[in-house]
Amino acid sequence: MAMAHEFRYERPGTLKEALQLLGEHREKCRILAGGTDLIVNMKEGMVAPELVIDIKDIPDLKEISIHEHEIVIGAGITFADLIASDVIINGFPILHDAAKTVASTGVRSRATLAGNLASAVPSLDSAPALLVHDACVEAASLQGTRMIPIQEFFLGPRKTALLPDEIILSIHLPFPDKKQGEVYLKLGRYGGEDLAQAGWGFVVDADRNYKIAHCALAATPKRALKIEQFLCGKELTPQVISQAKEIMREEIAPITDIRASKEYRLHVSGVMLERGLKAAFDRLQNREVHPQKLLGGIA
Amino acid sequence: MKEYKFIGKSVTRIDALEKISGAAIYGDDIDFGASLLYAELVSSTQAHAIIKSIDTSAAEKVPGVYKVFTGKDFPYKFGLYMKDRYVFAQDKVRFVGEQIAAVVGRTPQAAKQGAALVIVEYEPLPAVLDQMEALRDDATLLHPELGDYPHVPWFFPKAGTNIAHWRKTRKGDLEAGFAQAELILEDTYTVPRYAHCAIETHVAIGKLDYSGRLTVWSSSQSPHTQRHLFAEALGKSHKDVRVIAPHVGGGFGGKAGVTMEIIPAALATKLKGYAVKLRYSREQEFINTYQRLGVVAKIKMGINKDGRICALDHKIYWDAGAYVEYGANVVNAVGLSAIGPYKIDNVSIDSVCVYTNLPPGGAYRGFGYSEMLFGLESHITRAAHQLGIDEVEFRRLNAIKAGDLTAYGAKMNPNGLHESIDKVAKAINWGSKLESSDPHKALGRGFAIFWKAPAMPPNASSSAFLKFNEDASINLIISGMDIGQGYQTVMAQIAAEILSVPPSKIRVETPDTDRNPYEWQTVASHITWSSGNAVKKAALDARDQILQLIHRVYHYPIDSLYLEDEAVKCENDPKFFLPLKSFVVDGIMTKDGTFKGGPINARGMFMPEFSSTNGNPETSQGGHPNVHYTVGAASLDLEIDRDTGKMRVLKVALAIDAGKALNPELVRGQITGGLLQGLATVLYEDMRYDANGKLLNPNFTDYKIPTAMDVPDEIIPIIVEVPQPDGPYGARGIGEHTMLAAAPLIANAVENALGIRIKSMPITAEKVAMAILAKDKA
Amino acid sequence: MKEISLILNHEPRTVMVAPNEILLDVLREKLGVKSPKCGCERGDCGACTVLLDGTCVRSCLVLAIEVEGHEITTVEGISQDKLSTLQEAFIEFNSFQCGYCAPGIILAVTELLEKHPHPSLEEIKESIAGNLCRCTGYTPIFDAIMAVSKEGK
Repeated sequence: MAMAHEFRYERPGTLKEALQLLGEHREKCRILAGGTDLIVNMKEGMVAPELVIDIKDIPDLKEISIHEHEIVIGAGITFADLIASDVIINGFPILHDAAKTVASTGVRSRATLAGNLASAVPSLDSAPALLVHDACVEAASLQGTRMIPIQEFFLGPRKTALLPDEIILSIHLPFPDKKQGEVYLKLGRYGGEDLAQAGWGFVVDADRNYKIAHCALAATPKRALKIEQFLCGKELTPQVISQAKEIMREEIAPITDIRASKEYRLHVSGVMLERGLKAAFDRLQNREVHPQKLLGGIA
Repeated sequence: MKEYKFIGKSVTRIDALEKISGAAIYGDDIDFGASLLYAELVSSTQAHAIIKSIDTSAAEKVPGVYKVFTGKDFPYKFGLYMKDRYVFAQDKVRFVGEQIAAVVGRTPQAAKQGAALVIVEYEPLPAVLDQMEALRDDATLLHPELGDYPHVPWFFPKAGTNIAHWRKTRKGDLEAGFAQAELILEDTYTVPRYAHCAIETHVAIGKLDYSGRLTVWSSSQSPHTQRHLFAEALGKSHKDVRVIAPHVGGGFGGKAGVTMEIIPAALATKLKGYAVKLRYSREQEFINTYQRLGVVAKIKMGINKDGRICALDHKIYWDAGAYVEYGANVVNAVGLSAIGPYKIDNVSIDSVCVYTNLPPGGAYRGFGYSEMLFGLESHITRAAHQLGIDEVEFRRLNAIKAGDLTAYGAKMNPNGLHESIDKVAKAINWGSKLESSDPHKALGRGFAIFWKAPAMPPNASSSAFLKFNEDASINLIISGMDIGQGYQTVMAQIAAEILSVPPSKIRVETPDTDRNPYEWQTVASHITWSSGNAVKKAALDARDQILQLIHRVYHYPIDSLYLEDEAVKCENDPKFFLPLKSFVVDGIMTKDGTFKGGPINARGMFMPEFSSTNGNPETSQGGHPNVHYTVGAASLDLEIDRDTGKMRVLKVALAIDAGKALNPELVRGQITGGLLQGLATVLYEDMRYDANGKLLNPNFTDYKIPTAMDVPDEIIPIIVEVPQPDGPYGARGIGEHTMLAAAPLIANAVENALGIRIKSMPITAEKVAMAILAKDKA
Repeated sequence: MKEISLILNHEPRTVMVAPNEILLDVLREKLGVKSPKCGCERGDCGACTVLLDGTCVRSCLVLAIEVEGHEITTVEGISQDKLSTLQEAFIEFNSFQCGYCAPGIILAVTELLEKHPHPSLEEIKESIAGNLCRCTGYTPIFDAIMAVSKEGK
């Protein structure tokens, strides 16, 4: 289907060139990485930039670099790259889980983690994984770079803390300082690809520390700090889980839309809380977990 | 059992190479060169409104826009069974998405830019979005001139209402029937609209050449019917209108009849010398093509102490949309058959076609029977439970047999319904315990039987031409459409069997109405039967010509001659072996140097001469509106997660009586495909309209059709063969039927697993989870 | 308008494109390759799939200008000399009906088998989960791929 909107296209070979263009055009331009979000939006008339800046030739962006205390995921890294990466599979399995639930193979081959974050849709699958790992988004402009903690990155539906002349350079994920078990669960309508109607990420460790985050259940993805606070140090007995579910009801604000009703999202979130924590514990004990099967409906 | 060489064999599809190599040409693949223009539609944003004005001035000024057209340019009415529809909206719009204008541009971008600049002023009218609302005495009338609309004589519109057609079937004595009942069960079932979602959207290109001859290339199931409707609506001779059908990327009924194709056909008549293409976006496909009608069904059933159904009162109200020229026949078909595959002596069926301010309802795989069977097969299971009878046994007791009377008083054809029930019950191990070791899961088993007859006018016909080429390969020239079901291959198999030329040497292509003889439409699962009969006749004609020629030249008795291995052989003379290729074009040279014979060109035609629609308008008794029924049975095992409601089909067995499976692999293909499509309608396909009649999910992001992740764990296809006496080699159609059982299977399995009866579709995970919660609370 | 060069089905090609032209449209309208199809315009159906440097992408979500200097392969590029083993299997197992989704699925599975010559049923399902087929119910497609996977080709 033809795109009626006309625009200029640039493919800078260096980060500096890209930042110059960005600084010049600001709100009037858009960054093109995978295009799986931007091209749809442009075709449907939701956005009409006068310039599109294709960043795929910029060398600094296409690596996952491993450092002593953290990994740095470049803005050009796709979901397919994440799924194939050993350090993600072994070091950040929750991000691996989340990456596998995004769209399909032909979209994951292009869609970037950075692009996903920049879209800031409430149902962002990668967000809970980054939230429970206290990730940081490194943003760059002509003025230099700055680190935006992921908790401060999402300001509202489709709104991020990025300034108009900033581009995401990379996402920093600190290595956990002790052994933990983690998992991402996603509620969809059937077995095929879907936007999350509820997404939950869980991290547990042997000292009964818990980190929990969700997406599609509020205006932005968030950490569930009240549940975390309540659970910390406690053994997960049925009574504790039951109380946690009560607290959860206060903490999330699901809406009714054509994908699911508020009541269903609340109800299944309780189920996801219980099963997700258990699955995270299973992973802590090196037991195999298949997150996509945990809610039923799939072989 | 006669052993055939090609019939009953899973012969490789003859269109395989084309489709797998990327060679197959679909509508949008055809190149038209520099004379191609592009049309972009301007569509109504209102469900019901008077069009006050259309301002096209800004659109006309866009560089690259060639012309802009509106309803005043094409004041034509058209329709298949009733003429209630327009090429473009005239004074009113009747649904959100109805086409009001077309901008024709030299590039798609220019047309799109132009369309965005057309300004329409509306005066909104009250919109009716629900069939029950539309039936009220004070409801707004969508078609005040309904009484003047031309229609087929077997439709009964009620002028002055929103009832476009009311099929009444009355058999026996309903009151007496209920009086004998030990149990009377009454309830209501609702089914919403559904979308076909063929992966190829509708596309058509119209071209009027300088001599005034109109050609339309169209992704269609019905090229001849399209030609007829274009010729009628546009006032041209049929010989001057040509419809060429390329490969079709899925139809499922949505590409039957005429919908958007009339737009480029009409536009072309005002764009002499140009070709103009209209290709629907996926969004337009959802909004402005036929949809499956919605249904509110009220069933009242009486069963006597012997477990026999003694009375059935079935009232079905159809949300048929703003124009019902095709959809009204869905209503009609079900109005004759809503008795289900059962023998019931006292029956009353009211099938009411109601206008609503929603997109036109039309043909969709199953033609109303899926919608009807959801309620009926749910009801049957419930009745059995209430009586304490095993539901399979209950079905056996009441299943219709050959010779029993249908609802309209004709005799039921030979059929394998009992065999289907028995084989399915065995395959699913009916009666065995179903238990899950996982405390989170509940298991349930569902059962359903089904039937359907082709819904066609009594004179729907098929024709075939057959010609030999010099090397004795064959061109089989027919006008049915291979929409994926494998029609071309099966027709080749029939010709192959009679002429001993293997299917791989027979070419069957998509039709051109100029070259290919008449075929009514590729719908109703009837062309294996109908076109198959025509092809068989053509092949027999060819064989007859060949044998007559051999007899004339070689003097062998005709009944000693036969065809085998692409040659003529003789029972009386084992040495006689005349290869077809030596004479089927060239003729046979005789001793004096003269040639006898010449090119073998054959023909066949089939039209059922026993079908009629002159049943009584008040009772439907008399007449023979349905040529025959295809029957089957199915059962499935369902796993439900009690907390999330998510469901997984563990195993499904489906038996269908194909009469004779001309190509068993293709029948299995219809089973796996149809089952999954049926399961999707009940489990997760979900059209959502807002209060203003706007479709909220016109895309695959939010209208979910099955993916590779959604396939049942195990599918057991069972082919039953009780021959159809007037079918080619005993065959009858099965393409739609494989969908029919899915919805009641799930509803029945859910009740079996959880003790919860859900009477509305879709039965989503959410609905099940919330129903479990509500039950636990109570 | 810019003239771009690319390799298409093993041949060097050049074509004039405006920035707003979609790769799918340019392949079909300007470069004469018809096997990638339009099904939904949003990347939801997979009918537009092409191999970009050996990896499946949704060509309806790629601007033509992005592929300058890259390599595109479609089903025509796979069927050139003779059908691949996978394509033969598709014919043998009746793994298509209307054929519209077939090019996309063939490419997705071609990529899968390059990277994982012996995929499990689960891996097969995942690899084509983004290619919608309305006709077959997918089962015959799985059968064909499992057969090829077993034969070790």
